[in-house]
Amino acid sequence: MMKVLVGILAGLVLMSAQAMAQSGPLRIEITEGVIEPLPFAVPDFVPDGASASEISAQLSRLVASDLSGTGLFREVPASAYISKVTDFSAPVQYADWKAINAQALITGSVKVSGSRLTVQFRIYDVFSGDELGTGLQFVGAPDGWRRMAHKVADVVYSRITGEGSYFDSRVVFVSETGPKNDRHKRLAIMDYDGANVQYLTDSAAIVLAPRFSPTGDRVLYTSYETGFPRIYVLDVGKVERRVLEEQDGTMSFAPRFAPDGRTVVYSLYKGGTTDIYTLDINNGKSKRLTNATSIDTAPSYSPDGKQIVFESDRSGTQQLYIMSASGGEARRISFGQGRYGTPVWSPRGDLIAFTKQSKGRFHIGVMRVDGSEERLLTASFLDEGPTWAPNGRVIMFTRETQGAKGRASLYSVDITGRNLRPVRTPEGASDPAWSPLQK
Amino acid sequence: MQTGTKISGFAHVGLIGWMVFGGVFSAHPDPFEAREVSVISAQDFDAFLAAQQPPATAAQPAALPVPEIPLDTPDVQTETDVEPDQVQPSETSQPETDAAPNAVPTLPTPDPDITDATPVLQPPEPEISEINPTETPNPAVRPVDRVAPTPVAPAPPDVRPDDVTNPEVSPDKGAETPQDVQEATAPEEANDRIVTEADETSTLAPSRSVRPPARPAAPPVATPTPDSQSEPDTSVNASINDALSEAMETAETPRAAPAGPPLSQGEKDALRVSVSRCWNVGSLSTEALGTTVVVAVSMTPDGKPETSTIRMLSSSGGSDGAAQQAFSAARRAVIRCGASGFDLPTEKYDHWRDIEMTFNPERMRIK
Repeated sequence: MMKVLVGILAGLVLMSAQAMAQSGPLRIEITEGVIEPLPFAVPDFVPDGASASEISAQLSRLVASDLSGTGLFREVPASAYISKVTDFSAPVQYADWKAINAQALITGSVKVSGSRLTVQFRIYDVFSGDELGTGLQFVGAPDGWRRMAHKVADVVYSRITGEGSYFDSRVVFVSETGPKNDRHKRLAIMDYDGANVQYLTDSAAIVLAPRFSPTGDRVLYTSYETGFPRIYVLDVGKVERRVLEEQDGTMSFAPRFAPDGRTVVYSLYKGGTTDIYTLDINNGKSKRLTNATSIDTAPSYSPDGKQIVFESDRSGTQQLYIMSASGGEARRISFGQGRYGTPVWSPRGDLIAFTKQSKGRFHIGVMRVDGSEERLLTASFLDEGPTWAPNGRVIMFTRETQGAKGRASLYSVDITGRNLRPVRTPEGASDPAWSPLQK
Repeated sequence: MQTGTKISGFAHVGLIGWMVFGGVFSAHPDPFEAREVSVISAQDFDAFLAAQQPPATAAQPAALPVPEIPLDTPDVQTETDVEPDQVQPSETSQPETDAAPNAVPTLPTPDPDITDATPVLQPPEPEISEINPTETPNPAVRPVDRVAPTPVAPAPPDVRPDDVTNPEVSPDKGAETPQDVQEATAPEEANDRIVTEADETSTLAPSRSVRPPARPAAPPVATPTPDSQSEPDTSVNASINDALSEAMETAETPRAAPAGPPLSQGEKDALRVSVSRCWNVGSLSTEALGTTVVVAVSMTPDGKPETSTIRMLSSSGGSDGAAQQAFSAARRAVIRCGASGFDLPTEKYDHWRDIEMTFNPERMRIK
């Protein structure tokens, strides 16, 4: 017994002494950080010749605008710069950029030779003193400088955040003019930031709910051209359209492409019920997926094309359901107070964006695919119709103000609920649909 | 007039007469108790006192503290007493709190003087200091660009954002010696969570607050050790001492590297808070926000990280690309906040010459 006691005691002393000795490095765990925009600097790209000076300045400003517009980055103003970048190939003076807390630095050069615009750029991690990746070069036409700026910003965004970007993308939407009781609507397409607006249809008939194809070359939309809602498909490049689905005594609406680009899922009002159907674009064959007395509409495919989320009032109120892409029993995923509608599956596949009406206000929100972790991102008199950016991090939607002179406009918000900002359009705008990144 | 004077005169005379002869001033002796006493002589009194004193033999209980099993280990006790001695460096650790006033709410520092070292929270005007306790929760629901573990109230206008709070110092016009001009600085405004537009209209009252850090463990109370003289010198004690000395000898072998006491928990916490203040995860991808990285860094004696030594030891929870993004953010945090040197005790340099930091963003994902 005594030997045991002595042994235990000796062991304790040994452990204590070893603990005091603390051999090896000091170990700490950090679990709390901060979430704030990352400061970056974009000195005007160095122009190669006088003809490039104007474009280089505009291009640099657009890169900075793209990055700052995400809410994830904050530009350090040029007035704070200590050193100037006058030679794209010169070594970077990291100390000067550290001193102004620029954590990322983007330098570049612009050259215009005839009808050829060349943009070179590099990205630096200032505090590490390293270049982020290798330098890149884009070549195009001088009038395409905006797209080149977006592409530069895309690369910067991806290299710093490690995820896809969305600057070189487009948005199709419904342009609206006139008062609420006499509103004219037509399809329009623009860059993601509201620039380069082009109209795809005239305002002779009401148009609704345009949706891009997975490749971004076609648009589905609903038109009341015949007096009844009908689905059309429009070739964006040729601006040619054709009716996709037409049955007498029916109404078809809320179309959306499947990820394969060959199938369209939509709602069809027929015989007093509204159900969800699919249509093969190539052979025109349709298939009924739901068969209920309720109103089932607003279907949206999962990115893998295996499931469909839609809204239905089969439980008495408008809620969200998920079913197999081939139909069958649906599983309800929304259980909060209020009514849920217009669900859209995230390109990442992890979240579903929706419109929620609760206590007299409209919200844009997101929830997990299983209905958990519902989060409301916005609140206003009327917010509706979310659409995902190609990287699944930003949502664009329609916000309409109250009253007879109420105006519809587009807004974007980060999925964290931060960085709510309007998207500038020349006229009123609604029903946005985000394209994939352009090739 | 005369009639009134007469009436007043008669009334006063009557009143005075009543007071004098009516017994108003007569003394009424308070009731008292009377006890009979007897006079005794001095000899009798001494004899009486002697009878009241306890017997002189009552000193015997002093022998009770003799322990039956003397397992106390005097040598070990003196070693563990090193822990309370760490209070001594508190004077040198105070500048930590001066340099990081924001960290005070989360720093489990045992020294109560730390509260005195927070000039930001104690503005000179007393009425403001009364307002502060009720106003401090408000920034928690205001949408601001910065999300941090500890909410920071908005800085006054014309104050440059910085990690530390410094009052503005302007040179005295009548000063004979040159004086340094110091610009007023204050930490940037921050919330402890992301506030969406949907939350803004709900209420201005705080819905939650930062959980206070755990109270630091009290220093061990030194137990009275019996005099060594009272220890019975038995064969048991001899064997224990032999075992202890043997154990100490074997333990001293790997002790050669770092000398002196290790970093206290407060000193570790101060380092942790310093790094976390620069660990910006706002621009990380969703996958990188789910990736934990272990970063190693070697330090110079003045508390600055050697940039070239910063490396990723391991990662978990994400792809290689996500780990690289997470490592970049961690490296930026170490370099940025260590640029002017972390506030670490120089006498314990051997203990923090090499540091391994685990950056675990799990708690930042939900914000």
